[in-house]
Amino acid sequence: MKHFILFLAAVFTILFIVHINKNQSFLIREQKPIVKIFTYASFSSKWGPGPVLQEMFEKVCNCQIEFLEGSDSGILLQRLKIEGEKLGADLVIGLDQYDLQKAVVESNWRSLDFSTLEIDPQVKSALKNEFFVPYDWGVLTFIEKIINANQPLSAMTLDQLLQTEYFHKIAMQDPRTSSVGLQFVMWILKTKGEEEGFKYISQIMKQAHSFSPSWSTSYGLFKSGQADLVFSYTTSPLYNLLEEKNSNLRAIEMVEPNPVQVEFVGIPTSCRQCDLAENFLNLMLSIEGQKIIMQKNYMLPVLKKAAEGTPFEKVPVPFRLMEIQFPSVSEVDRILKQWSDLRRESSL
Amino acid sequence: MIVAFFESVKYSGHLLPISFLRIFLGYYYLQDAILKFKGDFLIRPRIAELISENLPVSQAPEWYKWIFSTFMVTHWQGLAFIFLGIQLAIAISYIVGYVVRPVALLAALFTFQMLYLSGTQSQDLLKVLLATHIAFAWLGAGRCLGFDYYFFKRVRGFWW
Repeated sequence: MKHFILFLAAVFTILFIVHINKNQSFLIREQKPIVKIFTYASFSSKWGPGPVLQEMFEKVCNCQIEFLEGSDSGILLQRLKIEGEKLGADLVIGLDQYDLQKAVVESNWRSLDFSTLEIDPQVKSALKNEFFVPYDWGVLTFIEKIINANQPLSAMTLDQLLQTEYFHKIAMQDPRTSSVGLQFVMWILKTKGEEEGFKYISQIMKQAHSFSPSWSTSYGLFKSGQADLVFSYTTSPLYNLLEEKNSNLRAIEMVEPNPVQVEFVGIPTSCRQCDLAENFLNLMLSIEGQKIIMQKNYMLPVLKKAAEGTPFEKVPVPFRLMEIQFPSVSEVDRILKQWSDLRRESSL
Repeated sequence: MIVAFFESVKYSGHLLPISFLRIFLGYYYLQDAILKFKGDFLIRPRIAELISENLPVSQAPEWYKWIFSTFMVTHWQGLAFIFLGIQLAIAISYIVGYVVRPVALLAALFTFQMLYLSGTQSQDLLKVLLATHIAFAWLGAGRCLGFDYYFFKRVRGFWW
């Protein structure tokens, strides 16, 4: 036992000495203020808009950007709630409209002035309160592969999705873990009313190939040919065209008004570099910043001018858009519980 | 002591495959510890992030969750240091075969904690590691190709 204790003491002492030496040289290097940006992983990943915006910002701010990552917007809120000020986030990027009510209830946010912002009229209704400002948005619909390019494109109704040809052929997302999945459920309930809506949902559950935990998994199933349709963004075919040179996909025009997903950014009151955080937010909402976000996130910019002269200008948004909803936390929880019950029944 | 180190192969050769596994596992822990040390594990709240993300959905009892989210998240520096120190101790002990039995018990305890604190994607690996550490402690895996053989022959006792 003596050997064991001495061994542990030796290891910890050596680690402590080496760490102190390393830390001193680290402190000498780190003189600039650090702006901590809390966001989801795909924003700060090397193929996301984060690193490009970081490089642009660090050139002019005499500061350092540090990204704190959460896997999705749900995790962002969970960590904000648990760690609060200790997390040290100066800016939170990536909440969607279903997170806003929860975010306001669980954390405190600084008021932002965006009265001068020339926001796209189609998402103007997203300016729900003075704490969060939208930075990108997307329209959701079903995506299909083009089988015959000469076939005329016709609008589809939700009821057509119940036809036998789509039996087990629609890749969908689990609304409990995916914001896109939640968008679908809210869309149906808004379009058909709650009673009819849940009846429809129980019917479409039979049509679904699967309910993936995330959008990317369901899109992967669709791309690999396991599903004929996937619920996704109208910009998805553009991504495939530009990144994969695949022009074989199209967004289906729906007869019913399509749901809109808006992503927001906010500054918690516990911020330490609040001014720098606001400057970063301003960069995100500049034409240049919006172009970067649009090209990396494949979402539509909130400043319409940013899309001018780019392929995003041609992304079809002729769809009638559904009014942006901001349901309360309890309402979302109630709907998800009902969805879970239906899912359990349908899998019996 | 060096002679005893190699002599151990002759007298406890049946443990040689276990020694191979022990050294490999030590190397695995060493690599992970070096990565953490060279990275920002000790200077950024990575461990607090891990706890905050995974603990609410883990199977851990409520009192355990309460202790970790109340005290450990706020004192992440100390916790990160202890975590890294334990990993390093496991790595060195397994590679050279010194105090393997008590370190394997410590490693089993450490892995058990990680089962609560890690996401579902690493649960299977951690369960296998837990079983391996218990097997090392049971067998006294440091007696072959390790300095434990020297002490086992001379000092005897439960810990070798």
